[in-house]
Amino acid sequence: MRELPAEHKKRITPKRPRDYVCWAVALAIVAGLVHTAVTNENYQWPVVFSYFTTDAIIEGLVLTLILTVVSMALGTLLGLLLAVMRMSHQTPISGLARLYITFFRGTPVLVQLIFWFNIAALYPNISIGIPFTDISTPVDVNAVMTPLTAAIVGLTLNEAAYMAEIIRGGFASVGRGQYEAADSLGMRGFTRLRHVIIPQTMPAIIPATGNQVIGMLKGTSLVSVLGVAELLNSAQSIYARTYQTIPLLIVASLWYLIMTMALSVPQSMIERRFSRSTRRPAAVATATKESLL
Amino acid sequence: MKPDGTIVARKLCKSFGSHQVLRGIDLTVAAGEISCIIGPSGSGKSTLLRCINGLETVDRGVLRVNGEDFGYVEKDNAYHALSPQRLAEQRSRIGMVFQQFNLFPNMTAEGNVMSGPVLVKKTDRRTARERARELLAQVGLADCGHKYPAQLSGGQQQRVAIARALAMNPSIMLFDEPTSALDPELVGEVLAVMRDLAHNGMTMLLVTHEMGFARDVADEVLFMDNGIAVERGDAREVLANPREKRTQEFLERVL
Repeated sequence: MRELPAEHKKRITPKRPRDYVCWAVALAIVAGLVHTAVTNENYQWPVVFSYFTTDAIIEGLVLTLILTVVSMALGTLLGLLLAVMRMSHQTPISGLARLYITFFRGTPVLVQLIFWFNIAALYPNISIGIPFTDISTPVDVNAVMTPLTAAIVGLTLNEAAYMAEIIRGGFASVGRGQYEAADSLGMRGFTRLRHVIIPQTMPAIIPATGNQVIGMLKGTSLVSVLGVAELLNSAQSIYARTYQTIPLLIVASLWYLIMTMALSVPQSMIERRFSRSTRRPAAVATATKESLL
Repeated sequence: MKPDGTIVARKLCKSFGSHQVLRGIDLTVAAGEISCIIGPSGSGKSTLLRCINGLETVDRGVLRVNGEDFGYVEKDNAYHALSPQRLAEQRSRIGMVFQQFNLFPNMTAEGNVMSGPVLVKKTDRRTARERARELLAQVGLADCGHKYPAQLSGGQQQRVAIARALAMNPSIMLFDEPTSALDPELVGEVLAVMRDLAHNGMTMLLVTHEMGFARDVADEVLFMDNGIAVERGDAREVLANPREKRTQEFLERVL
Protein backbone atom coordinates (compact mmCIF):
# COMPACT_ATOMS: atom_id res chain seq x y z
CA MET A 1 0.00 0.00 0.00
CA ARG A 2 1.25 3.46 -0.88
CA GLU A 3 2.37 5.44 2.14
CA LEU A 4 0.11 8.51 2.58
CA PRO A 5 1.75 11.84 3.42
CA ALA A 6 1.57 12.37 7.19
CA GLU A 7 -0.84 15.33 6.99
CA HIS A 8 -3.39 13.23 5.03
CA LYS A 9 -3.43 10.29 7.41
CA LYS A 10 -6.80 9.63 9.03
CA ARG A 11 -6.99 9.75 12.81
CA ILE A 12 -8.75 6.75 14.27
CA THR A 13 -10.10 6.18 17.77
CA PRO A 14 -10.10 2.41 18.36
CA LYS A 15 -13.29 0.83 19.69
CA ARG A 16 -12.77 -0.26 23.24
CA PRO A 17 -14.21 -3.39 24.89
CA ARG A 18 -16.70 -1.37 26.93
CA ASP A 19 -18.30 -0.04 23.71
CA TYR A 20 -19.29 -3.60 22.83
CA VAL A 21 -20.19 -4.59 26.39
CA CYS A 22 -22.75 -1.79 26.62
CA TRP A 23 -24.46 -2.95 23.44
CA ALA A 24 -24.40 -6.58 24.54
CA VAL A 25 -25.97 -5.81 27.93
CA ALA A 26 -28.69 -3.59 26.47
CA LEU A 27 -29.55 -6.14 23.75
CA ALA A 28 -29.65 -8.97 26.27
CA ILE A 29 -32.11 -7.09 28.47
CA VAL A 30 -34.40 -6.23 25.55
CA ALA A 31 -34.20 -9.78 24.18
CA GLY A 32 -35.10 -11.17 27.61
CA LEU A 33 -38.11 -8.87 27.88
CA VAL A 34 -39.36 -9.74 24.41
CA HIS A 35 -38.84 -13.45 25.05
CA THR A 36 -40.86 -13.49 28.26
CA ALA A 37 -43.60 -11.33 26.71
CA VAL A 38 -43.94 -13.76 23.84
CA THR A 39 -43.57 -17.06 25.67
CA ASN A 40 -45.43 -16.31 28.92
CA GLU A 41 -49.03 -17.20 28.08
CA ASN A 42 -50.34 -15.25 31.07
CA TYR A 43 -49.94 -12.05 29.07
CA GLN A 44 -52.86 -13.32 26.98
CA TRP A 45 -52.05 -11.18 23.94
CA PRO A 46 -55.10 -12.40 21.99
CA VAL A 47 -57.29 -11.03 24.82
CA VAL A 48 -55.40 -7.71 24.67
CA PHE A 49 -56.11 -7.39 20.96
CA SER A 50 -59.75 -8.43 21.27
CA TYR A 51 -60.46 -5.71 23.86
CA PHE A 52 -58.20 -3.04 22.39
CA THR A 53 -60.95 -1.25 20.48
CA THR A 54 -64.12 -2.42 22.20
CA ASP A 55 -66.81 0.21 22.79
CA ALA A 56 -66.29 0.39 26.57
CA ILE A 57 -62.56 1.05 26.17
CA ILE A 58 -63.04 3.65 23.44
CA GLU A 59 -65.71 5.42 25.49
CA GLY A 60 -63.34 5.44 28.46
CA LEU A 61 -60.62 6.81 26.24
CA VAL A 62 -62.86 9.66 25.07
CA LEU A 63 -63.81 10.53 28.64
CA THR A 64 -60.12 10.53 29.62
CA LEU A 65 -59.41 13.01 26.84
CA ILE A 66 -62.37 15.19 27.80
CA LEU A 67 -61.29 15.23 31.45
CA THR A 68 -57.74 16.15 30.40
CA VAL A 69 -58.80 18.99 28.13
CA VAL A 70 -61.42 20.46 30.48
CA SER A 71 -59.36 20.23 33.66
CA MET A 72 -56.25 21.51 31.92
CA ALA A 73 -58.07 24.48 30.37
CA LEU A 74 -59.85 25.47 33.59
CA GLY A 75 -56.72 24.80 35.64
CA THR A 76 -54.63 27.04 33.39
CA LEU A 77 -57.16 29.90 33.61
CA LEU A 78 -57.36 29.65 37.37
CA GLY A 79 -53.57 29.24 37.49
CA LEU A 80 -53.15 32.47 35.53
CA LEU A 81 -55.38 34.29 38.01
CA LEU A 82 -53.41 32.82 40.93
CA ALA A 83 -50.09 33.75 39.31
CA VAL A 84 -51.24 37.36 38.86
CA MET A 85 -52.39 37.40 42.50
CA ARG A 86 -49.13 35.83 43.64
CA MET A 87 -47.12 38.56 41.85
CA SER A 88 -49.29 41.34 43.32
CA HIS A 89 -47.58 43.97 45.45
CA GLN A 90 -50.57 43.81 47.80
CA THR A 91 -49.37 41.47 50.52
CA PRO A 92 -52.83 40.08 51.45
CA ILE A 93 -53.53 39.22 47.80
CA SER A 94 -50.22 37.47 47.21
CA GLY A 95 -50.58 35.81 50.62
CA LEU A 96 -53.93 34.30 49.63
CA ALA A 97 -52.44 32.91 46.43
CA ARG A 98 -49.47 31.53 48.32
CA LEU A 99 -51.79 29.84 50.82
CA TYR A 100 -53.78 28.22 48.00
CA ILE A 101 -50.65 27.00 46.22
CA THR A 102 -49.12 25.61 49.41
CA PHE A 103 -52.30 23.78 50.30
CA PHE A 104 -53.00 22.20 46.92
CA ARG A 105 -49.41 21.27 46.17
CA GLY A 106 -48.92 19.95 49.69
CA THR A 107 -51.73 17.39 49.71
CA PRO A 108 -52.09 14.33 47.44
CA VAL A 109 -54.44 14.69 44.47
CA LEU A 110 -56.04 11.35 45.30
CA VAL A 111 -57.01 12.68 48.74
CA GLN A 112 -58.28 15.92 47.21
CA LEU A 113 -60.46 13.99 44.74
CA ILE A 114 -62.06 11.85 47.43
CA PHE A 115 -62.50 14.96 49.56
CA TRP A 116 -64.43 16.84 46.85
CA PHE A 117 -66.57 13.79 46.21
CA ASN A 118 -67.55 13.80 49.88
CA ILE A 119 -67.85 17.56 50.28
CA ALA A 120 -71.60 17.17 50.98
CA ALA A 121 -70.68 15.71 54.36
CA LEU A 122 -69.16 19.09 55.21
CA TYR A 123 -71.67 21.39 53.48
CA PRO A 124 -74.90 19.44 52.80
CA ASN A 125 -76.72 22.51 51.49
CA ILE A 126 -75.45 25.78 50.15
CA SER A 127 -77.47 28.78 49.06
CA ILE A 128 -76.59 30.69 45.98
CA GLY A 129 -78.10 34.14 46.08
CA ILE A 130 -77.59 37.85 45.83
CA PRO A 131 -76.22 39.24 49.09
CA PHE A 132 -78.52 41.54 51.14
CA THR A 133 -81.63 40.41 49.23
CA ASP A 134 -84.11 37.59 49.71
CA ILE A 135 -83.30 36.15 46.31
CA SER A 136 -81.52 32.85 46.75
CA THR A 137 -81.64 29.29 45.55
CA PRO A 138 -80.79 26.42 47.82
CA VAL A 139 -78.50 23.85 46.24
CA ASP A 140 -78.34 20.22 47.29
CA VAL A 141 -74.58 19.60 47.25
CA ASN A 142 -75.02 15.83 47.19
CA ALA A 143 -76.93 16.04 43.92
CA VAL A 144 -74.52 18.47 42.29
CA MET A 145 -71.29 16.74 43.30
CA THR A 146 -71.52 13.77 40.96
CA PRO A 147 -68.37 11.70 40.48
CA LEU A 148 -67.69 13.56 37.21
CA THR A 149 -68.07 17.01 38.83
CA ALA A 150 -65.87 15.97 41.74
CA ALA A 151 -63.28 14.71 39.24
CA ILE A 152 -63.22 17.96 37.26
CA VAL A 153 -63.24 20.14 40.39
CA GLY A 154 -60.45 18.13 42.02
CA LEU A 155 -58.20 17.93 38.96
CA THR A 156 -58.76 21.62 38.09
CA LEU A 157 -58.07 23.02 41.53
CA ASN A 158 -54.94 20.91 41.88
CA GLU A 159 -53.68 21.76 38.41
CA ALA A 160 -54.22 25.49 39.00
CA ALA A 161 -51.68 25.45 41.83
CA TYR A 162 -49.00 23.96 39.57
CA MET A 163 -49.84 26.17 36.58
CA ALA A 164 -49.69 29.26 38.82
CA GLU A 165 -46.09 28.45 39.72
CA ILE A 166 -45.18 27.72 36.10
CA ILE A 167 -46.67 31.00 34.88
CA ARG A 168 -45.01 32.92 37.70
CA GLY A 169 -41.69 31.30 36.80
CA GLY A 170 -42.17 32.41 33.18
CA PHE A 171 -42.62 36.00 34.25
CA ALA A 172 -39.68 35.80 36.65
CA SER A 173 -37.48 34.73 33.73
CA VAL A 174 -37.93 38.10 32.00
CA GLY A 175 -35.31 40.58 33.19
CA ARG A 176 -36.01 44.04 34.58
CA GLY A 177 -34.17 45.59 31.64
CA GLN A 178 -36.96 44.50 29.29
CA TYR A 179 -39.55 46.40 31.33
CA GLU A 180 -37.25 49.42 31.45
CA ALA A 181 -36.59 49.36 27.70
CA ALA A 182 -40.34 49.22 27.01
CA ASP A 183 -40.95 52.04 29.50
CA SER A 184 -38.26 54.22 27.96
CA LEU A 185 -40.05 53.99 24.60
CA GLY A 186 -43.21 55.23 26.30
CA MET A 187 -45.03 51.87 26.21
CA ARG A 188 -47.85 51.48 28.68
CA GLY A 189 -48.94 48.52 30.80
CA PHE A 190 -50.98 46.36 28.45
CA THR A 191 -48.94 47.03 25.29
CA ARG A 192 -45.76 46.27 27.19
CA LEU A 193 -47.24 43.04 28.54
CA ARG A 194 -48.74 41.88 25.26
CA HIS A 195 -45.85 42.64 22.87
CA VAL A 196 -42.72 42.51 25.00
CA ILE A 197 -43.18 40.54 28.21
CA ILE A 198 -45.64 37.71 27.44
CA PRO A 199 -43.83 36.52 24.27
CA GLN A 200 -40.68 36.19 26.38
CA THR A 201 -42.41 34.16 29.09
CA MET A 202 -43.49 31.54 26.55
CA PRO A 203 -40.18 29.65 26.15
CA ALA A 204 -40.32 28.98 29.90
CA ILE A 205 -44.07 28.32 30.14
CA ILE A 206 -44.83 26.22 27.04
CA PRO A 207 -42.53 23.23 27.64
CA ALA A 208 -43.52 23.05 31.31
CA THR A 209 -47.20 23.21 30.37
CA GLY A 210 -46.65 20.40 27.89
CA ASN A 211 -45.30 18.27 30.71
CA GLN A 212 -48.34 19.20 32.79
CA VAL A 213 -50.71 18.07 30.00
CA ILE A 214 -48.96 14.71 29.83
CA GLY A 215 -49.04 14.47 33.62
CA MET A 216 -52.74 15.38 33.63
CA LEU A 217 -53.53 12.76 30.99
CA LYS A 218 -52.06 10.05 33.19
CA GLY A 219 -53.36 11.69 36.36
CA THR A 220 -56.98 11.32 35.21
CA SER A 221 -56.60 7.61 35.97
CA LEU A 222 -56.88 8.57 39.66
CA VAL A 223 -60.54 9.53 39.24
CA SER A 224 -61.27 5.86 38.58
CA VAL A 225 -61.62 5.57 42.37
CA LEU A 226 -64.67 7.84 42.19
CA GLY A 227 -66.31 5.50 39.69
CA VAL A 228 -65.91 7.82 36.71
CA ALA A 229 -65.83 5.58 33.66
CA GLU A 230 -62.61 6.85 32.15
CA LEU A 231 -60.02 4.59 30.53
CA LEU A 232 -58.66 2.80 33.60
CA ASN A 233 -62.09 2.47 35.20
CA SER A 234 -63.50 0.98 31.98
CA ALA A 235 -60.70 -1.58 31.90
CA GLN A 236 -61.31 -2.39 35.57
CA SER A 237 -65.03 -2.88 34.96
CA ILE A 238 -64.25 -5.43 32.31
CA TYR A 239 -61.73 -7.43 34.30
CA ALA A 240 -63.98 -7.36 37.36
CA ARG A 241 -66.33 -9.46 35.23
CA THR A 242 -63.84 -11.59 33.30
CA TYR A 243 -60.84 -11.79 35.70
CA GLN A 244 -58.52 -10.98 32.76
CA THR A 245 -56.74 -8.38 34.88
CA ILE A 246 -53.33 -8.28 33.20
CA PRO A 247 -54.47 -8.12 29.57
CA LEU A 248 -56.89 -5.28 30.34
CA LEU A 249 -54.27 -3.31 32.25
CA ILE A 250 -52.06 -3.74 29.19
CA VAL A 251 -54.88 -2.40 26.99
CA ALA A 252 -55.18 0.72 29.18
CA SER A 253 -51.40 1.17 29.40
CA LEU A 254 -50.96 0.93 25.64
CA TRP A 255 -53.60 3.62 25.11
CA TYR A 256 -51.97 5.92 27.68
CA LEU A 257 -48.64 5.33 25.95
CA ILE A 258 -50.07 6.10 22.51
CA MET A 259 -51.67 9.31 23.74
CA THR A 260 -48.60 10.61 25.60
CA MET A 261 -46.40 9.83 22.60
CA ALA A 262 -48.84 11.61 20.31
CA LEU A 263 -48.78 14.64 22.62
CA SER A 264 -45.00 14.86 22.65
CA VAL A 265 -44.94 15.54 18.90
CA PRO A 266 -46.82 18.88 18.97
CA GLN A 267 -45.02 19.75 22.18
CA SER A 268 -41.59 19.56 20.61
CA MET A 269 -42.88 21.49 17.58
CA ILE A 270 -44.20 24.30 19.77
CA GLU A 271 -40.99 24.30 21.77
CA ARG A 272 -38.95 24.76 18.63
CA ARG A 273 -41.21 27.57 17.44
CA PHE A 274 -40.89 29.52 20.69
CA SER A 275 -37.16 29.05 21.05
CA ARG A 276 -36.57 30.55 17.58
CA SER A 277 -35.49 33.95 18.81
CA THR A 278 -33.32 32.72 21.66
CA ARG A 279 -31.40 30.10 19.72
CA ARG A 280 -27.67 30.56 19.59
CA PRO A 281 -26.27 32.44 16.60
CA ALA A 282 -24.42 29.44 15.11
CA ALA A 283 -27.49 27.22 15.22
CA VAL A 284 -29.62 29.88 13.56
CA ALA A 285 -27.02 30.53 10.90
CA THR A 286 -26.98 26.82 10.01
CA ALA A 287 -30.76 26.71 9.96
CA THR A 288 -30.91 29.71 7.63
CA LYS A 289 -28.38 28.15 5.32
CA GLU A 290 -30.31 24.90 5.23
CA SER A 291 -33.57 26.65 4.40
CA LEU A 292 -31.86 28.47 1.56
CA LEU A 293 -30.56 25.26 0.00
CA MET B 1 -33.59 79.34 25.23
CA LYS B 2 -35.71 77.06 23.06
CA PRO B 3 -37.13 74.49 25.50
CA ASP B 4 -36.98 71.38 23.25
CA GLY B 5 -33.93 69.26 23.94
CA THR B 6 -33.06 70.90 27.23
CA ILE B 7 -32.52 69.42 30.68
CA VAL B 8 -32.48 71.50 33.84
CA ALA B 9 -32.00 69.98 37.30
CA ARG B 10 -31.77 71.94 40.54
CA LYS B 11 -30.94 70.46 43.95
CA LEU B 12 -31.99 66.99 42.81
CA CYS B 13 -32.16 64.46 45.67
CA LYS B 14 -32.75 60.73 45.64
CA SER B 15 -32.38 58.07 48.33
CA PHE B 16 -32.67 54.31 48.28
CA GLY B 17 -33.85 53.60 51.82
CA SER B 18 -31.41 55.38 54.10
CA HIS B 19 -28.72 55.57 51.42
CA GLN B 20 -28.55 59.02 49.79
CA VAL B 21 -27.59 58.50 46.14
CA LEU B 22 -28.10 62.04 44.85
CA ARG B 23 -27.43 64.91 47.25
CA GLY B 24 -28.60 68.07 45.52
CA ILE B 25 -27.38 67.78 41.94
CA ASP B 26 -27.46 70.80 39.62
CA LEU B 27 -27.30 70.18 35.89
CA THR B 28 -28.05 72.17 32.76
CA VAL B 29 -27.95 70.80 29.26
CA ALA B 30 -28.79 73.21 26.43
CA ALA B 31 -30.37 72.09 23.16
CA GLY B 32 -27.87 70.38 20.89
CA GLU B 33 -25.30 70.14 23.66
CA ILE B 34 -23.30 67.00 24.47
CA SER B 35 -22.75 66.41 28.18
CA CYS B 36 -20.79 63.62 29.79
CA ILE B 37 -21.20 62.49 33.38
CA ILE B 38 -18.05 60.86 34.74
CA GLY B 39 -17.09 59.59 38.14
CA PRO B 40 -16.26 56.47 40.16
CA SER B 41 -18.80 53.64 40.36
CA GLY B 42 -21.46 54.17 43.00
CA SER B 43 -21.24 57.94 42.62
CA GLY B 44 -24.87 58.19 41.44
CA LYS B 45 -24.20 58.84 37.73
CA SER B 46 -26.55 56.17 36.46
CA THR B 47 -29.23 57.05 39.00
CA LEU B 48 -29.15 60.67 37.82
CA LEU B 49 -29.59 59.54 34.22
CA ARG B 50 -32.38 57.13 35.17
CA CYS B 51 -34.22 59.92 37.02
CA ILE B 52 -34.24 62.01 33.86
CA ASN B 53 -36.48 59.52 32.03
CA GLY B 54 -38.43 58.29 35.00
CA LEU B 55 -36.86 54.87 35.57
CA GLU B 56 -36.30 56.20 39.09
CA THR B 57 -38.46 58.77 40.82
CA VAL B 58 -36.97 61.92 42.28
CA ASP B 59 -37.42 62.60 46.00
CA ARG B 60 -36.82 66.35 46.00
CA GLY B 61 -35.61 69.13 43.73
CA VAL B 62 -36.52 70.52 40.34
CA LEU B 63 -36.30 68.49 37.14
CA ARG B 64 -37.38 70.09 33.90
CA VAL B 65 -36.96 68.21 30.63
CA ASN B 66 -37.88 69.73 27.25
CA GLY B 67 -39.06 72.80 29.12
CA GLU B 68 -41.64 71.11 31.34
CA ASP B 69 -41.60 69.56 34.78
CA PHE B 70 -40.78 65.89 34.33
CA GLY B 71 -43.11 63.24 35.75
CA TYR B 72 -44.92 65.72 37.96
CA VAL B 73 -47.04 68.83 37.65
CA GLU B 74 -46.60 71.75 40.04
CA LYS B 75 -49.82 72.79 41.77
CA ASP B 76 -50.66 74.27 45.18
CA ASN B 77 -47.06 74.37 46.35
CA ALA B 78 -46.45 70.70 45.62
CA TYR B 79 -45.50 68.36 42.79
CA HIS B 80 -48.26 65.93 41.83
CA ALA B 81 -47.34 62.75 39.96
CA LEU B 82 -48.56 62.67 36.36
CA SER B 83 -50.95 60.02 35.08
CA PRO B 84 -49.15 57.01 33.56
CA GLN B 85 -50.33 58.16 30.15
CA ARG B 86 -48.82 61.66 30.47
CA LEU B 87 -45.61 60.19 31.89
CA ALA B 88 -45.34 57.75 28.99
CA GLU B 89 -45.84 60.67 26.60
CA GLN B 90 -42.97 62.61 28.19
CA ARG B 91 -40.77 59.54 28.12
CA SER B 92 -41.41 58.88 24.46
CA ARG B 93 -39.58 62.14 23.68
CA ILE B 94 -36.46 60.98 25.52
CA GLY B 95 -34.36 58.22 23.97
CA MET B 96 -32.55 55.86 26.31
CA VAL B 97 -29.66 53.52 25.52
CA PHE B 98 -28.78 50.96 28.17
CA GLN B 99 -25.51 49.35 29.15
CA GLN B 100 -26.99 45.89 28.54
CA PHE B 101 -28.71 46.95 25.26
CA ASN B 102 -32.07 45.50 26.42
CA LEU B 103 -33.21 44.71 22.90
CA PHE B 104 -36.44 42.72 22.77
CA PRO B 105 -35.20 39.17 22.01
CA ASN B 106 -38.57 38.15 20.57
CA MET B 107 -38.33 40.70 17.75
CA THR B 108 -35.93 41.07 14.82
CA ALA B 109 -33.63 44.09 14.66
CA GLU B 110 -36.16 45.78 12.39
CA GLY B 111 -39.01 44.79 14.70
CA ASN B 112 -37.16 46.33 17.62
CA VAL B 113 -36.70 49.61 15.78
CA MET B 114 -40.34 49.59 14.64
CA SER B 115 -41.73 48.72 18.08
CA GLY B 116 -41.88 52.28 19.44
CA PRO B 117 -43.52 53.94 16.44
CA VAL B 118 -45.98 51.07 15.84
CA LEU B 119 -46.95 50.21 19.42
CA VAL B 120 -46.77 53.66 21.01
CA LYS B 121 -47.30 56.22 18.26
CA LYS B 122 -49.61 53.94 16.21
CA THR B 123 -47.67 54.72 13.05
CA ASP B 124 -48.75 52.42 10.21
CA ARG B 125 -46.41 49.50 9.72
CA ARG B 126 -45.21 50.40 6.26
CA THR B 127 -44.09 53.91 7.23
CA ALA B 128 -42.50 52.54 10.39
CA ARG B 129 -40.66 49.85 8.43
CA GLU B 130 -39.27 52.37 5.93
CA ARG B 131 -38.07 54.57 8.77
CA ALA B 132 -36.58 51.55 10.58
CA ARG B 133 -34.60 50.63 7.47
CA GLU B 134 -33.31 54.20 7.16
CA LEU B 135 -32.22 54.21 10.79
CA LEU B 136 -30.57 50.78 10.56
CA ALA B 137 -28.68 52.03 7.50
CA GLN B 138 -27.70 55.13 9.46
CA VAL B 139 -26.10 52.97 12.18
CA GLY B 140 -24.44 50.80 9.55
CA LEU B 141 -26.69 47.75 9.84
CA ALA B 142 -28.70 47.97 6.62
CA ASP B 143 -28.45 44.21 6.05
CA CYS B 144 -29.19 43.05 9.60
CA GLY B 145 -32.86 44.00 9.79
CA HIS B 146 -34.09 40.41 9.66
CA LYS B 147 -31.75 39.13 12.37
CA TYR B 148 -32.69 38.49 15.95
CA PRO B 149 -30.66 40.09 18.76
CA ALA B 150 -29.13 36.71 19.66
CA GLN B 151 -27.60 36.59 16.17
CA LEU B 152 -25.91 39.98 16.51
CA SER B 153 -22.64 40.95 18.20
CA GLY B 154 -22.73 43.24 21.22
CA GLY B 155 -21.68 46.23 19.14
CA GLN B 156 -24.37 45.52 16.57
CA GLN B 157 -26.99 45.08 19.29
CA GLN B 158 -26.08 48.42 20.83
CA ARG B 159 -26.33 50.12 17.44
CA VAL B 160 -29.79 48.58 16.94
CA ALA B 161 -30.70 49.87 20.41
CA ILE B 162 -29.62 53.38 19.37
CA ALA B 163 -31.71 53.10 16.19
CA ARG B 164 -34.67 51.90 18.28
CA ALA B 165 -34.42 54.96 20.52
CA LEU B 166 -34.03 57.29 17.52
CA ALA B 167 -37.16 55.86 15.89
CA MET B 168 -39.28 57.80 18.39
CA ASN B 169 -37.73 61.06 17.13
CA PRO B 170 -36.58 62.03 20.63
CA SER B 171 -35.33 65.52 21.35
CA ILE B 172 -32.85 64.16 23.90
CA MET B 173 -30.78 60.97 23.94
CA LEU B 174 -29.57 59.46 27.21
CA PHE B 175 -26.76 56.89 27.19
CA ASP B 176 -26.06 54.82 30.29
CA GLU B 177 -22.52 53.46 29.89
CA PRO B 178 -23.30 52.37 26.32
CA THR B 179 -19.93 50.73 25.69
CA SER B 180 -19.16 49.21 29.10
CA ALA B 181 -20.58 45.78 28.26
CA LEU B 182 -18.75 45.54 24.94
CA ASP B 183 -15.58 43.72 23.94
CA PRO B 184 -12.83 46.32 23.40
CA GLU B 185 -12.74 45.86 19.63
CA LEU B 186 -16.49 46.62 19.36
CA VAL B 187 -16.44 49.89 21.29
CA GLY B 188 -15.30 51.94 18.29
CA GLU B 189 -18.29 51.16 16.05
CA VAL B 190 -20.75 52.30 18.74
CA LEU B 191 -18.80 55.47 19.51
CA ALA B 192 -18.70 56.27 15.78
CA VAL B 193 -22.51 56.14 15.62
CA MET B 194 -22.75 58.36 18.70
CA ARG B 195 -20.25 60.81 17.21
CA ASP B 196 -22.43 61.00 14.10
CA LEU B 197 -25.46 61.80 16.22
CA ALA B 198 -23.57 64.51 18.05
CA HIS B 199 -22.56 66.16 14.79
CA ASN B 200 -26.20 66.17 13.68
CA GLY B 201 -27.15 68.35 16.63
CA MET B 202 -28.84 65.83 18.96
CA THR B 203 -28.91 66.78 22.64
CA MET B 204 -26.98 64.02 24.37
CA LEU B 205 -26.34 63.21 28.01
CA LEU B 206 -24.16 60.23 28.66
CA VAL B 207 -22.64 58.38 31.54
CA THR B 208 -19.35 57.04 30.27
CA HIS B 209 -15.88 55.82 31.06
CA GLU B 210 -14.66 56.72 27.57
CA MET B 211 -12.55 59.75 28.42
CA GLY B 212 -11.29 60.01 24.85
CA PHE B 213 -14.85 60.32 23.58
CA ALA B 214 -15.66 62.89 26.26
CA ARG B 215 -12.66 64.97 25.29
CA ASP B 216 -13.31 64.79 21.53
CA VAL B 217 -17.07 65.14 21.40
CA ALA B 218 -18.51 66.53 24.64
CA ASP B 219 -19.18 70.20 25.28
CA GLU B 220 -19.53 69.81 29.02
CA VAL B 221 -18.33 67.34 31.62
CA LEU B 222 -19.87 66.76 35.02
CA PHE B 223 -17.73 64.94 37.55
CA MET B 224 -19.77 63.23 40.26
CA ASP B 225 -18.59 61.63 43.46
CA ASN B 226 -20.71 60.26 46.27
CA GLY B 227 -23.94 61.84 45.02
CA ILE B 228 -22.50 65.32 44.62
CA ALA B 229 -21.64 67.25 41.45
CA VAL B 230 -18.03 67.97 42.33
CA GLU B 231 -16.97 69.78 39.20
CA ARG B 232 -18.73 70.94 36.08
CA GLY B 233 -17.42 72.82 33.07
CA ASP B 234 -16.03 72.80 29.57
CA ALA B 235 -15.09 69.24 28.67
CA ARG B 236 -11.55 69.81 27.51
CA GLU B 237 -10.90 72.21 30.37
CA VAL B 238 -12.11 69.83 33.11
CA LEU B 239 -10.31 66.80 31.66
CA ALA B 240 -7.03 68.66 31.06
CA ASN B 241 -6.93 70.96 34.09
CA PRO B 242 -9.30 69.74 36.79
CA ARG B 243 -9.68 72.29 39.62
CA GLU B 244 -10.95 69.94 42.30
CA LYS B 245 -8.68 67.48 44.08
CA ARG B 246 -11.18 64.60 43.79
CA THR B 247 -11.46 65.14 40.04
CA GLN B 248 -7.68 65.15 39.73
CA GLU B 249 -7.39 61.89 41.67
CA PHE B 250 -10.11 60.21 39.61
CA LEU B 251 -8.62 61.28 36.28
CA GLU B 252 -5.17 60.14 37.34
CA ARG B 253 -6.58 56.71 38.04
CA VAL B 254 -8.50 56.28 34.78
CA LEU B 255 -6.25 58.02 32.24
